[in-house]
Amino acid sequence: MSADQRHEAVGGPRSIPEAAPAGRFRAFLARSGLLLALIILFVVLAAVAPNFLSARNLLNVLRQVSFVGIIACGMTMALIGAEVDLSVGSVVALTCCLLGVLNQKLGWPLGLAIAAVLVESTLMGVFAGWIRVKWDIPGLIVTIALMLSLRGLAYVVTNAFPIPITNDSFAFLGSGDVLGVPFPAILFLLTMALFGFISTRTVYGRSVYAVGGNAEATRLSGIPINRVRILLFATTGLLAAVAGILLTSRLSSANAGVAVGWEFDVISAVIIGGTSLFGGEGSMFGTLLGVLFIGLLGNGMVMLGVNPYYQQVARGVIILLAVLLSALQRPKTTA
Amino acid sequence: MDTVPILEAHQVRKRYPGVQALDGVDFRLEAGEVRALIGKNGAGKSTFVKILSGATHPDSGTLTVQGRPTVIHSPAEAFASGIATVYQEMSLVMGLSVAENILLGRWPRSRRLGMPTIDTRRTVAEAREALDLMGVSLNPREQVRRLSVPQRQMVEIAKAISFKPKVLILDEPTSSLPAHEVDALLALVRRLAESGVAVIYVSHRLQELPRVADSLTVFRDGRQVGTIPMPEATPERIVQMMIGSEWKRSSSTTRSATGAVRLSVKDAVRKRFIRGVSFDLHEGEVLGIAGLLGSGRTELLRAIFGLDRLDAGSIVVNGRTVRRPTPIRMKSLGVGMTPEDRKGEGIVASLSVAKNLTLTSLDRISNARVISRRAERDLAGGMVKALSIRTPSTAVQARALSGGNQQKLVIGKWLNSQVQVLLMDEPTRGIDIEAKNQVYGLVRELAARGISIIFVSSEIEEVLEVSDRILVFNRGRIAADLPIGQATLENVLAISMVSEEQAAV
Repeated sequence: MSADQRHEAVGGPRSIPEAAPAGRFRAFLARSGLLLALIILFVVLAAVAPNFLSARNLLNVLRQVSFVGIIACGMTMALIGAEVDLSVGSVVALTCCLLGVLNQKLGWPLGLAIAAVLVESTLMGVFAGWIRVKWDIPGLIVTIALMLSLRGLAYVVTNAFPIPITNDSFAFLGSGDVLGVPFPAILFLLTMALFGFISTRTVYGRSVYAVGGNAEATRLSGIPINRVRILLFATTGLLAAVAGILLTSRLSSANAGVAVGWEFDVISAVIIGGTSLFGGEGSMFGTLLGVLFIGLLGNGMVMLGVNPYYQQVARGVIILLAVLLSALQRPKTTA
Repeated sequence: MDTVPILEAHQVRKRYPGVQALDGVDFRLEAGEVRALIGKNGAGKSTFVKILSGATHPDSGTLTVQGRPTVIHSPAEAFASGIATVYQEMSLVMGLSVAENILLGRWPRSRRLGMPTIDTRRTVAEAREALDLMGVSLNPREQVRRLSVPQRQMVEIAKAISFKPKVLILDEPTSSLPAHEVDALLALVRRLAESGVAVIYVSHRLQELPRVADSLTVFRDGRQVGTIPMPEATPERIVQMMIGSEWKRSSSTTRSATGAVRLSVKDAVRKRFIRGVSFDLHEGEVLGIAGLLGSGRTELLRAIFGLDRLDAGSIVVNGRTVRRPTPIRMKSLGVGMTPEDRKGEGIVASLSVAKNLTLTSLDRISNARVISRRAERDLAGGMVKALSIRTPSTAVQARALSGGNQQKLVIGKWLNSQVQVLLMDEPTRGIDIEAKNQVYGLVRELAARGISIIFVSSEIEEVLEVSDRILVFNRGRIAADLPIGQATLENVLAISMVSEEQAAV
């Protein structure tokens, strides 16, 4: 049949060159738009919030965003690969609690306990990814299940009681500074740089973009798409554990109730940073801006004494605006 | 018969960019008549069917339904004026029941608790009426998901019949049916005709036509070139009408490849699609595969490349049997595939031209898993030049390229991975003439360089144009294996349309 409809779909030769530079320009605009918004936000806050500009406050913001920021690196990869991991908040909590139990209740040395929770969380990610690819179940569903179960486990292992961890060298991880810069912030920026490199320069990073852009074409190109997908979940698991360790250190206690809703903070930052929820497009730099934007906004609102409920409303509106903006910039789909 | 025809088309024209799909079609159909509609790919029959079913609009010309001039703007209007179409692509909703599908969107309503609801009892009753009329025993409450492919086809037809059409159009209704189900379908069509429905039956299975059709209309080059009563329609006459006399092979490559065997397929079987296929592909050979829709040509390529499992048989690459082919394994053995669905399976539209061109050869441009931008640029840039891919730069997203240039990306990425065997499924689908000719030239050039190619296409002319040897597929079997010197448009067309049972007589 369809020779006729084929011709319909294609038409004659058309002038190609226009679309792409425009796309690039648009991408630049989208990115610099966020940069611009970040600068405006910064200037406004500097003008209206009294102590906003103090080094102490700014470094504090940096410390605060680094927990979510570290996870956002893995989540950016996941979203580029057209996957999503909703379990990261619960992974943080379980990491935190296991660390407390292993170290304080079972007397494991801290180093060993840390290694153990890193491995455990990574394996949990591998498990989620394996279910995802083996039975072709959406990662969203798999990780929702994981989100519930792991949060529950966190309460189970601690009996819902906080476990204090007092150890000065451990406290350094979350609260220490190197040359005046918070250690978590340094770790965040290093993670960012590492994943910037992985996403743009390595075979794996390229495979992630390809899988997210068109999984079938990628499979037909002889790329092991299932391995790529499992690695995405292993990465979010590992990074959530890193954030969990830092958080435990910062709080000097293991508590099953921490990091509730972090998955949404992380995903919001990534999406504000311009990464597509549908996969194939996004960048670490965008995520960096997104993380900073959300951090500064939150901090600013606190400094200005905005009612916390309104803060939530504001955050929702910002996310909607960011997504609307990128939708408006997307090229119109043609048949 | 001097009655008013139930359907009449007069001088219908339709132009698509670059092609005059319909060039003044006249057509006349009486009530209770079954008319076979036949024509090569691109002859215009599917455009004509689309116009009748409201899927597209003619540029000029008139349609008369039951004596009334009619303009069909949409599928809904086609149904309203008494024309129902059953397409070969299934349009059923898997999660709904048979009855809900048959009456899709037209469910009898009732009100419960003040809310509009579907009256399930009446839905089932009305669906059963349509099924009974067809003499099909299917449970109207069964979920469509649970039905076999032939049963689903029956539901499609029941859906069309439930509109109580005056004209029923069946587009290649038997291409997905096994032989014994075909009989039931043909009987059903006859019954419908006896009840006064006019049927347009699009099919290329010549052996079916005398059993179902009263007469046959042939389309060629956007025109209706003749209508003959079925008894006069011998395969020779049909083929001759379809082809005309103008077409001649332009190139005269008649090499017979005698190089080493690169790929062997032995006794390949895949249930419903491939029924015992064996052949060898030699070094530097272009092996064309011609065959109708549903003849197993795409399924064969997919099975070789490891996208579908074979139920039996083996695939041998360079003398080594490949036990469980996967795309990764086949790539490592030097086998590549350019799929039929270029946008869905060929390119990654969001990635740049350079990244698409190197997607199969990431190992070649990387060192310790880190991609060298320079190696990437060189490899991609070289291929853009070699294939004269029209793109402003290699950094442009693949989605911005024309269809022909996207196809070159898919071919180019396999060349970059240094394939020895390239499986090409409909490589010229949807690309313009100039790009098509470039693809033919490219195929010949690759063969000259020693690459072995399987070239699958539904356009027999292009198979004849590029191939050294042609396999004609028919219902999952190789019906003929012809060196190019013995292949003509006539015999390839005839063999692909006539079943092997009949051909053997």
